[in-house]
Amino acid sequence: MFDYRTNFGVEYQNIFNRIQIRGPADEGAPLKWGQENRRGKPRFSFLFGLIGAAQVGPFYLGATGLASIVCGFIAFEIIGLNMLASVGWDPIQFIRQLPWLGLEPPAPAWGLHIPPLAEGGWWLMAGFFLTTAILLWWVRVYRRARALGLGTHVAWAFASAIWLYLVDGFIRPVLMGSWGEAVPFGIFPHLDWTASLSIRYGNLFYDPFHMLSIVFLYGSTLLFAMHGGTILAVGRYWGEREVEMSIDRSTAAERAGLFWRWVMGFNASYESIHRWAYWFAILCTLTGGIGILLTGTVVDNWYLWGVKHGFAPMYPPVYPPIPDPGPLRGVLR
Amino acid sequence: MIGDILVAPFRLVGLLLSGVFKGIYGHPWRTAFSIGGCVGGVLLVLLAMTFNFFPVVSIQRGFRGVGMLVQYNPRSVAREAGYQQIIAAYPPVQPAGVPAEIAYKNIQVLKGVDANEFLRLMATMANWLQPSVGCAFCHSAVNMAEDRVYTKTVARKMIEMTRYINTNWRAHVGAGGVVCNTCHRGAAVPGSIWFMTPPPGGRHNFAQTQSGENSPSTVAGLTALPNDPFTPFLLNAAPIRDQGTTALPDGNRMSTEQTNWTYSLMIHFAQSLGVSCNYCHNTRAFGEWDQSTPKRLVAWTAIEMVRDINRGYMVPLTDVFPVASRGPIGDVPKINCGTCHAGAYKPFYGASTLAAYPELEGSPDTPAHERVSVGGQRQAAIGQPSPHAAIDATPAAATSTAAGNTAVADTR
Amino acid sequence: MAMLNFEYKYRVRGGTLVGGDLFDFWVGPFFVGFFGVTTIFFSVIGTALIVYGAAIGPTWNVWRISIAPPDLSYGLGFAPMREGGLWQWITFCAIGAFVSWDLRMIEIARKLGMGLHAPIAFAGAILAYVTLEVIRPLLLGAWGNGFPYGIISHLDWVSNVGYQHLQFHYNPAHMIAITFFFTTTLILAMHGGVILSALNPGEGEVVKPGGFEDSFFRDLIVYSIGPLGIHRLGWFCAINAGVWSAICIVLSGPFWTRGWPEWWNWWLNLPIWGG
Repeated sequence: MFDYRTNFGVEYQNIFNRIQIRGPADEGAPLKWGQENRRGKPRFSFLFGLIGAAQVGPFYLGATGLASIVCGFIAFEIIGLNMLASVGWDPIQFIRQLPWLGLEPPAPAWGLHIPPLAEGGWWLMAGFFLTTAILLWWVRVYRRARALGLGTHVAWAFASAIWLYLVDGFIRPVLMGSWGEAVPFGIFPHLDWTASLSIRYGNLFYDPFHMLSIVFLYGSTLLFAMHGGTILAVGRYWGEREVEMSIDRSTAAERAGLFWRWVMGFNASYESIHRWAYWFAILCTLTGGIGILLTGTVVDNWYLWGVKHGFAPMYPPVYPPIPDPGPLRGVLR
Repeated sequence: MIGDILVAPFRLVGLLLSGVFKGIYGHPWRTAFSIGGCVGGVLLVLLAMTFNFFPVVSIQRGFRGVGMLVQYNPRSVAREAGYQQIIAAYPPVQPAGVPAEIAYKNIQVLKGVDANEFLRLMATMANWLQPSVGCAFCHSAVNMAEDRVYTKTVARKMIEMTRYINTNWRAHVGAGGVVCNTCHRGAAVPGSIWFMTPPPGGRHNFAQTQSGENSPSTVAGLTALPNDPFTPFLLNAAPIRDQGTTALPDGNRMSTEQTNWTYSLMIHFAQSLGVSCNYCHNTRAFGEWDQSTPKRLVAWTAIEMVRDINRGYMVPLTDVFPVASRGPIGDVPKINCGTCHAGAYKPFYGASTLAAYPELEGSPDTPAHERVSVGGQRQAAIGQPSPHAAIDATPAAATSTAAGNTAVADTR
Repeated sequence: MAMLNFEYKYRVRGGTLVGGDLFDFWVGPFFVGFFGVTTIFFSVIGTALIVYGAAIGPTWNVWRISIAPPDLSYGLGFAPMREGGLWQWITFCAIGAFVSWDLRMIEIARKLGMGLHAPIAFAGAILAYVTLEVIRPLLLGAWGNGFPYGIISHLDWVSNVGYQHLQFHYNPAHMIAITFFFTTTLILAMHGGVILSALNPGEGEVVKPGGFEDSFFRDLIVYSIGPLGIHRLGWFCAINAGVWSAICIVLSGPFWTRGWPEWWNWWLNLPIWGG
């Protein structure tokens, strides 16, 4: 083995691949069906090979995938062309203002009616095509797993993310009776929607499902830092061979488990850590979707809901009490 | 030998170049990363130049640990200090003993003001508005009494408006009040005015109709929020509040989309005053008055006041302004928070010269001897119905004039 | 005591940074080490201070307990215990406990002949905490700028500090941090899912070797980063989520006092747009 310590003064840290070997490309595991849809000549990328596998391709493109890409492309074009129109078809202004540009859902006054194209109809159409593309892609994820004789876990994790997407863009607007509640397309516009939603419904930080979703978001990040770090740390014992280690434990799995046992008193196994990972990631979007679904439909002001249920902290007053001047005027707004 | 010495530098350069090219050829990735790194470093330096640096001044606006602060960068504040410098009042003049309407012709608003004091005010106004042009900005040089120049008519209305604000809107402007300089600051057109935006046109054919948002909004601090929150909220009396007052739904029909408009207005508030949301709110509960600071009440009176004076004084001037000075749809320039505040939490950081110009207080027919200096009570002036009450029919404005704003405590 | 059936052979001496053999022992499954002792010291005192802070506060409701930093007027000095001093000591104990825990992780990794990637990742998270509670307050000139220790109250702090900048979502470093958080969660779901799908292939199938995971992702998205690469990517994205969060908050205040949307003005004014 190459002696890093003598030559570099420090040990190899398992961050980059020092040597890349090129051999015949991996044509892929046998498919139960659709072998003819495996396309593309495998290529090798030096850049990718520094971090992971160098091989790019072959890929699988069947009818579902193709339909998904087509629908996605249509949605992309609807959104993009409307954005371009909004700057008077000027390509320079399009790029300059791109972060601000957007495609808005119908105004609240339209309720759940289908408005004219220019009054939110384009948004509905783009949303329809994007949703179709995503659902078709889900079918693709499911079938690719089945075709290789794998479990369908990835598809079900994707379903959790789709749940949140549908809640935001479809289910909650329908329950609220207004397409206008849905998220606009656009980089900054969708961020403005996020802030406005929280303002309108009394501070989403007080939504307990929002809290849970954040717990699982940060928890997922924590878990991948832990798990990624652990596997890299036992790389010298072939720790990345997780499937093999799960059914035939060797020293990498033993050291990895003992590391955490000695650190925090308990540990996962090579398989079960992936269950922790899987569920934390799924629960992030699952609880998040619930939190959004309840907002406006079941709860109108999360802060007041927190006050009502006794978990809102009360700070010592700094100012004298200020009466609401609205009722003095006879108008509440 | 001489030849060798002369050629040596070229040989050196050639050696260096060939070495460099060999290096690039032999280590393409290393070279690429090095160049990338250098470019990245330059970009990083340029990026760092977009920020401003500490030290920073923080002002606590709530209980400790809640995070309610307003922060200022002293160097930014110092840069704007010139704009917040109030022009000192002119020294007082000996009274002429004759009221202005006797000494001069066509005096309509400034009746009862001593003639010398009148001239003093005129000179000050020229200085406040157009020092480079002087009297000729409003007056015809041939006949000073004539109303030929439109700016004279506007100025007359402005004097009325100034008096109205200082008398009827003490709840917002306080004892310091406003003078012409508060908005104009040495320019005929104040730094922050607004026009209504043209209605969405058909020029984009079948593409989405623009609703006034989703482009860089200078009004709303460069967010993608609506670009004109003023027409609904500072001209008309559309509801600004969107949060519900109960935990569970109880008939609050405001939408998330409407909240964008309120948010845009609020960002304008913050930017015009050079403060952040925490100046008035504990953002955990924007709508709750028991979580807000007293400044929120002051801001609430401001909304009422701006609606009032926009409708009562600016809108009636629409036909007086030439078309070139009006907006894209022909509307008159109108007032928002920035017009007076110009980036400071109080105009001129609270400095005031109103006391030196008592003729800018009181209603038009308050006798001169009743125009006491700031701090005194003028019972006759408070509560006077505004001259525009007949024009305006919105409930908010009508009740505001009727109640006279004294019900609200001065919390400064 | 309560050792796993393969654990005995790994319980060897060595790997410690400080203290040699003095603290090189286990209590139950926990390794102690010198830094185990310091961890216990800091966490017990810190927790006791938190409980004391709750006791002198108005409530025992776990959601409403809040121990707040001092008023800004105390600047960078020590505040009286009941006026924020408690918060200062708790912060000190917290940093002591976190750093001790991290150094203990290093000792355990060294003992097991492992790389130090896990303690390095944790150091990134500690950096985020120290940035929030020490570095940023230092740059702003007052300890009162730290967040309070309270489950709901720290969220109120986040809300207010966010709105100080009018629309915090426009903070570019915040955008990058969020992207890293969401990406980490996405690839965690993908990685956890694909490993489980290989180990639990369903009725009538056999466990699939590693080449099948590669094929799954190549079929699906053209590229498969591979078993080692995914752990590098996950480790990298997770650490960056924490680091960019630290960057985004240290920028807010010491390096930018205005609204974050306004920062984007440089982009709108680039000379390349012409006109």
